Amino acid sequence: MPLLEIRDLCKHYGGVEALKSLSFDVERGEFFGLLGPNGAGKSTTINILLGLILPDSGAIRVFDQDFATQQVEIRRRMNVAAAFTSLSGVLTVRENLRVYGHIYGVRNLNAKIDELLERFEITDLAQRRLQYLSSGQHTRVTLCKGLINDPDLLLLDECTLGLDPDIAEKTRRALQQFQREKQTTVLFTSHNMNEVEELCGRIAFLSRGEILRIDTAARIKSLIPHQVVEVKFRPGTDLSALRQMDGMLRAEPSGDSTLRFVLDDPERQLDSLLRRLTQAGGYIADVQITRPTLEDVFIKVARGEI
Amino acid sequence: MRYRLHQDFTCTASAVRGLVYKFACICFHSLDRIFDIVYWPVISLLLWGFTSTFVSTTSSSSQVIEFFLGGAVLWSLFWRAQSDVGTFILEDFWSRNIYNLFASPVTSLELFCAIGLIGLLRCLLSLVFLSLLAWFLYTFNILLLGGIAIAVFTTELLLFGWVVGIVIAALIFRYGLRIQVLAWSVGFIMQPFSCVFYPLASMPRWVQVIAVILPTTHVFEGLRHAIATGELAVRPLLTALGLTFVLLVAALLFFQYALRQAKKHGLLTRFEMA
Repeated sequence: MPLLEIRDLCKHYGGVEALKSLSFDVERGEFFGLLGPNGAGKSTTINILLGLILPDSGAIRVFDQDFATQQVEIRRRMNVAAAFTSLSGVLTVRENLRVYGHIYGVRNLNAKIDELLERFEITDLAQRRLQYLSSGQHTRVTLCKGLINDPDLLLLDECTLGLDPDIAEKTRRALQQFQREKQTTVLFTSHNMNEVEELCGRIAFLSRGEILRIDTAARIKSLIPHQVVEVKFRPGTDLSALRQMDGMLRAEPSGDSTLRFVLDDPERQLDSLLRRLTQAGGYIADVQITRPTLEDVFIKVARGEI
Repeated sequence: MRYRLHQDFTCTASAVRGLVYKFACICFHSLDRIFDIVYWPVISLLLWGFTSTFVSTTSSSSQVIEFFLGGAVLWSLFWRAQSDVGTFILEDFWSRNIYNLFASPVTSLELFCAIGLIGLLRCLLSLVFLSLLAWFLYTFNILLLGGIAIAVFTTELLLFGWVVGIVIAALIFRYGLRIQVLAWSVGFIMQPFSCVFYPLASMPRWVQVIAVILPTTHVFEGLRHAIATGELAVRPLLTALGLTFVLLVAALLFFQYALRQAKKHGLLTRFEMA
């Protein structure tokens, strides 16, 4: 039984279709990514799951309960950390966390706050007012708030935005550790492709309010079937002759003494390509294979090429 | 998608405690939120105190000062109650906390209970301060009205203040921060129609039609009766209570409608809402 079931979720804003019959499941304990360009419908989906936006139609079941009718009860077991939101600026970090601790009915609240502050390495900020924190510190406080009730379902919307690479890495480690310890189900959105690939077991790739594909990062990358092979030849090699070989489609120069080939089926074509280049008099110095990244898929989706 | 209205009328003590704690922290950390407990009420008391002192020298009525000061002190409670609802909700809009607040399991009822509790405390502080000041400056002793009368007047004015505050909060959710000025100004708009300093009968007929549907009118009519006779008039107070109850139910339903519209149009996720 999936922990989260979304069926035929639709949402219009005026004449714009933000979500077009969106359906997907998230299993218990899964780290699930929502990926897609701006306007794909990621935030709308998350905001509907938080009860902040009402959908036009569709059904949501969380913890095997109907979200529309059991929303308040369900939200007690959920939480969110969204980078672009804030807590009360005039309150200190500890006061803000106490507020949400009470709202979620957390027991041993002081101990829980101490544990979270330590987990995200911001214990020294406990008595500082939120309005005086840097954006990176602020983001980590928001994460502490998101974990205050040990949620069964955690929604993370761009939650590492504004963190420097070192802190972002520590934050990802802390989130992963928390998720493993508590077996929390996480719904995660980010524009950082490496982050999504590193953290998420499965990813739903959204475009214009529809799910393009739900799969692992490796399989989503296969939406771009071809790979780029760059072959560097020893100096003096006649590249023009190599480019005019029969069947050598889409070969193009790429710097001095280098040719770039786009292979649709690299596993079958690479061996044949290299053999033919050698036979044609090319002395190969180096071969580099560039596989498509999640970012390549993202860009192609954003440009409507997929 | 089906939606059950009753969900927003559940209430847990821990959530109310959390919200009261938040509002209390905001008050303690913010000088202007402490200052506004007394600032406008004191201005009003001074204005009407000096005016009534002057009028009493030219009037045959010996109770002019009591009428004016009693009105000024009690009106400040209504104004305090209605503006507290609006401004405490606006705090969350200003700090962009509205997203996290409404994504949490907090219900409308819990929110209003918490604002009511902190508002009650602020109103009582305001009442005590003004009463002492009125006695010190004008030897006006509000306690002469009697404990029961003060409790009844205060309760009715606080309740109706919250009703007006809830309506303003609903309008803020529906139309955004561009109408935030209502949180402070509605009290001033309602004052001329509430018979705070003059009897209902002294107003033009068309104004009476408006005034008679405001619970505040009946409270202040009751206040003047209590000052003049030393007795509590039950009828205007029951009228005020009945009107307040009806308007409270209507205000809560209107708030739910406005909140639902805000969610339908995605306004809770657009923090500026201007």
